[in-house]
Amino acid sequence: MIPAKFDYVRPSSVGDAVSALAGGGEDAKVIAGGQSLMPLLRLRLAYPELLVDIGGLDELNGVTDGGDHLLIGARTTHYQVVHDPLIAEYCGLLAEATGTVADPAVRHRGTIGGSLAHADPAGDLPAVILALDATLIAVGPAGSREIRAGEFFVDYLTTALEPGEILTGIRVPKLGTDWGYRYEKFHRTAQAWAIVGVAALVRRSDGHVAEARVGLTNMGSVPIRAAAVETAAAGALASSETLREAASGAAEGTQPPADLHGAPDYRRHLARVLTGRALEAAAGV
Amino acid sequence: MELEHSFSVPVPAERAWDVLLDVERVAPCMPGATLDSVEGDSIAGRIKVKVGPISMTYAGTAKFTERDRDAGVVTLEASGKETRGAGTASASVRSQLTPEGDHTMVTVHTTLNVTGKPAQFGRGVMTEVGGKLIGIFANNLAAMLAAEPAAEAGISEEEELPGGNVVALSDTTSDEALPIDVLNLSSRAWSSLRQDGIQTLGDLTRRTDQQLLAIDGVGRASLADIKAKLADRGLALAAAEAPGPAEAPGLSETTAPVTPEAASAEEAVQPAEAGEPTADLNGAAASAAGRHAAAEAAADEDLAEVTPIRPARHETPPAAQVPVQREPSGWQPPDNDAIDLLDVAGLPVLKRAAPAAAALIAVLLVIFGLRRRRARRG
Repeated sequence: MIPAKFDYVRPSSVGDAVSALAGGGEDAKVIAGGQSLMPLLRLRLAYPELLVDIGGLDELNGVTDGGDHLLIGARTTHYQVVHDPLIAEYCGLLAEATGTVADPAVRHRGTIGGSLAHADPAGDLPAVILALDATLIAVGPAGSREIRAGEFFVDYLTTALEPGEILTGIRVPKLGTDWGYRYEKFHRTAQAWAIVGVAALVRRSDGHVAEARVGLTNMGSVPIRAAAVETAAAGALASSETLREAASGAAEGTQPPADLHGAPDYRRHLARVLTGRALEAAAGV
Repeated sequence: MELEHSFSVPVPAERAWDVLLDVERVAPCMPGATLDSVEGDSIAGRIKVKVGPISMTYAGTAKFTERDRDAGVVTLEASGKETRGAGTASASVRSQLTPEGDHTMVTVHTTLNVTGKPAQFGRGVMTEVGGKLIGIFANNLAAMLAAEPAAEAGISEEEELPGGNVVALSDTTSDEALPIDVLNLSSRAWSSLRQDGIQTLGDLTRRTDQQLLAIDGVGRASLADIKAKLADRGLALAAAEAPGPAEAPGLSETTAPVTPEAASAEEAVQPAEAGEPTADLNGAAASAAGRHAAAEAAADEDLAEVTPIRPARHETPPAAQVPVQREPSGWQPPDNDAIDLLDVAGLPVLKRAAPAAAALIAVLLVIFGLRRRRARRG
């Protein structure tokens, strides 16, 4: 279908983009890769009055080394993330999860910032940056501010971004070589959304799990950390039995959705099983 | 999808019953709802649902199908159509009041059906969203019913009043007791305010601009939104010099000293903003503005006044107005869609049929002639 009528601007600096967006009010939307927004426009589910295309803002593109963290520009495409040497070295989890996003065509156009700002609970990246304890950088008319990943996702498709604010980058703390990771995604077809996804990070020392972080995809209206699992796994022996045991609490406090792909109970079961697998793989057992 | 919500309110069932049947008071409890008209049992209105970038407006009607005062049961059936699409939504809301001493237990049972694109999109999310909306509705209803005795007692019986509230009572009391949900703020602003302990409109009006801006998560845009929506209800934020007496302690350190000029500037801005929401009526949520407009419309029953803001009205308007209202919105299927064939193709068909008809007449004449000849002979 053809989208409803809208105005379109393609600013050449972040400042221009912010003022264009702020001028557009509540009905203005930012478009980067357009892989989530365009389907909404074409299905006529969204009727923005103004699209601010940040595709021309090269300052938001690419990955830079910031010492103890990596700064990933918001319009860095999934393809770039998957193939970036810095990301591969310091946060492989992000590259692994991004490699499962949709299909190659989408990964070439879709951006990490767009994916996060869209905040689809079935999207893979929100749970991953939650597990990575990343910080999101937003620029608005009042200036720049940082939002922690845990506070960024407010509700279904809703983020802490104010109208008029643009997500410009993601700051991901570098992880050392003692960290193992795994993104387990369960879906029926290769390019589908996750029915349930689990992002696990495990730091091992002396055959034990020193620290574990688990982010869950599509187990509620926002991505969540499986706090019960993290507590149970911390300090435990790095073995299949103990990790599976720890994973049994993965569904605690979740409110998974019900749809054609599965009932809430099914999703809770998936979360427990996938968390077990992800922890095992991340701990290397 | 079936949903069950229950809550207890500190009013006797009798009073809760009266409130529950007062559509103009119940409707604003539904986030994004606007009343267009109320005529007897049937209610016309719209509800705007906004989920991130997705926004949908359903227009339709609701009707009380069951009102059993003795059993304390009231059922409202509502159905609507998307104004910009082909989707539909329908809900049957059955509320049961059970007296428990001087409290009342309210159980709301909802059957919700959503069809069309929004229902297909997003893996069943619309029902989740619908469930959430009804949850907020139930909360607002509970808050409104709970605020009820204070508001009514203020006018009639003073002994029921909790101490200290007397001063605050005025004709806007019922509005001030409403939860901030009725403003239909963005969920970010809403949750930020809630986290700061702001529950009702009254709490909000005791804060100043600066105090609100100091809350993490409330920016200029949210502030302007809040002020506009408050102005709709005849409320305003506190003037900058006078921090709220009750709510202030937690905030005192964030309240930067405000210069008199800044304060008066803020005051000067407010009247200007008060004018804005009327323009909102066409599309944006503006539930409050809609409520006032609808109340007026219901009062003088002048439907013509309301129609401009109802582009996709599907219930039949009074007969006399039908032609005027149907014309403008592009092509509409005519009432009887069977085409009168003779009108369209009568002449060409006649032309083609002419030779055949002539031949037939000729044959008949011949036969007629032959028979007469025979008759003469015989």
